[in-house]
Amino acid sequence: MDTLDLARLQFALTAGAHFLFVALTLGLATLIAIMQTRATLTRSAVHERMTRFWGRLYVINYAMGIVTGLVMEFQLGMAWSGLTHFAGNVLGGSLAMETLVAFFVESTFLGLWIFGWDRLNRWAHLGVFWVVTLTAYASAYWVLVANGFMQNPVGAEVSGGVLRLTDAAAVLGNPTALTAFGHVLSASLVVGAFFVTGVSAYHLRRRTAEREFFRRSLRIGVFTGLPALLAVAAFGGAGFAFVQPTKEALFEGDAAEVARLQAEAVTAHGSAAGLADHLPPMGLVQAGAILMFIAFVVMLVVAVPSALLALSRRAVLGMRSWHVVLIAAIPLPFAAVLGGWVFREVGRQPWAVYGLLTTEEALSDLSPGVLRFSLTAFAVLFALLVAVNVWMLARNARRGPVTAPSLLDEPSDAPAGPVPVAAAF
Amino acid sequence: MEIALLAFFAIGYFVLAGADFGIGMLLPHLGRSPAERGRVLAAITPFFLANEVWLVTALGVLAGAFPVLEGELLSEHYAVFTALLLGWVTRDAGIWLRGRVDRAGWRAGCDTAVVAGSWTVALSWGTLLAQTVEAAPPVAVPVIAAVAVLFCAHGLALAGLRLRDRPRERARRPFGASGERTVYALTTGGTVLVCLLAGSRLPLAENLADPATLALLTPTATVLVPLLVGTQVWLWWSLGRIRPAG
Repeated sequence: MDTLDLARLQFALTAGAHFLFVALTLGLATLIAIMQTRATLTRSAVHERMTRFWGRLYVINYAMGIVTGLVMEFQLGMAWSGLTHFAGNVLGGSLAMETLVAFFVESTFLGLWIFGWDRLNRWAHLGVFWVVTLTAYASAYWVLVANGFMQNPVGAEVSGGVLRLTDAAAVLGNPTALTAFGHVLSASLVVGAFFVTGVSAYHLRRRTAEREFFRRSLRIGVFTGLPALLAVAAFGGAGFAFVQPTKEALFEGDAAEVARLQAEAVTAHGSAAGLADHLPPMGLVQAGAILMFIAFVVMLVVAVPSALLALSRRAVLGMRSWHVVLIAAIPLPFAAVLGGWVFREVGRQPWAVYGLLTTEEALSDLSPGVLRFSLTAFAVLFALLVAVNVWMLARNARRGPVTAPSLLDEPSDAPAGPVPVAAAF
Repeated sequence: MEIALLAFFAIGYFVLAGADFGIGMLLPHLGRSPAERGRVLAAITPFFLANEVWLVTALGVLAGAFPVLEGELLSEHYAVFTALLLGWVTRDAGIWLRGRVDRAGWRAGCDTAVVAGSWTVALSWGTLLAQTVEAAPPVAVPVIAAVAVLFCAHGLALAGLRLRDRPRERARRPFGASGERTVYALTTGGTVLVCLLAGSRLPLAENLADPATLALLTPTATVLVPLLVGTQVWLWWSLGRIRPAG
């Protein structure tokens, strides 16, 4: 593998790992915000306990999203300095806004939420979580503004060899960014909903003591999952209108059209490094898209009858064959999310900024040795983190709602009673 | 103005998170048993993400207001930043996961991750400073060591402020007659000076982003700063009074 392939693989591993964690974080945050709102409005003990239980799983996952996100932010400058050099006036601004308007407040408020449980006024504590949720959305928006610009550069012009911002509104309202934002937000809601549904089904199937707790959780998951799934399709469909011609041709398997577009690009940008000899791999682009569509269809086949079955209390509590299906469906949205990401990102190669800057031009001047070292080190670290995260989630999900000193501590095995005000959690 | 914003977030990071690194580096000294180490870490756990995010924001400001310089700095020091990130992630995972499994081996593993990660982060920053001031190899080693000592002293001062009982006494021992507040003020001053020195070596003014970008970014960032600081003050005010028993 040459330096370019190594750097791309490294970024793909980082972004892929990050995306898996973040999709669950975003989706769970929305559901927990709803649960905590109900708990605060009605003083419902079961919703208060639901907030703590799902909050524990959310917090486990959250940290993994942060650390992979850090590595990704640094990697943009470390391995792709050609990109910051050429497009920094647009991309840098959107990354700066992401940290200023979203991530800074999100990290601060997450600490307040976890450790302020018994110290903050309950309304303030609820407000804190809504801020965490909304700033997470804002983060996703700003990142997708940057990504949308790379897919479909609008609102800027090349002068003196670099891009300069000419129309900020066009960058912020880039349809490629907005449709992706809707698509990713609803996809993450599907991830969170299928997760909550599957874990609840596990407990109902095992007939654990918390029947009412998981009956309600399952219904929240099912009734969010189906509309979110329809929204994913709507935003995805809307986004298809802006898919680049090469990606479309790759998707359709039209090799002749791909070759024609390639020749056209070479004529227009003959001097761009790596343009003539780098074609996006058709097989991978198609595999990503097919994985996404198949997972979507299977999820729909699960979600529609589930929405009907969830109306029946007897089915929710006792239909164990359905429970098995719901547990087995937990990985489906993750597969769809990864497939869709491969389709979107691999499908625009060899461009880093479509039609303007090739991936090879974006690459920093690095030796293959140093990249091989960092790629190996990050790959090992991320594999460990993914494994620990999956193990921790499974372990805590299986134990159900139990008491613990804090959301960061291992719970004891004594089942938690209804939590009195200001009890240890 | 952009330089002031960058300096503000970078200095904020080194002052706030620098003490967390020092505590992580000296964890085996401050806490002699697993339970003590747990209480030492509990003193920084609610704040460490909120402290680290200052660097993320500094990097965001660097990318937004000095994009060419951001790419050049990060790619030029690729190996050191790789080490920094590996140490950072290892350390964060150790802090975040330590309490999750109630087993001695798990806690020992997480403590090791925190200590090794904190040292890696501190030495990486020392190396970056040495490279920024273009110290020749014989000078670079003392520069790196001085940075590590500064982080440690700053961490001990915070430990003196935040801990109780025996871990607090251990933290205070090197201070002699001076109080931990005085030491914290001194190490903060030292950290600010080092940041200003390193920053003065960066070609910032000649690498500003295009005026059209700055016209949007700089006013937004300036307006947001008081709000961002306000959220952190709320965090310290709400949770800062907790002193884990030692």
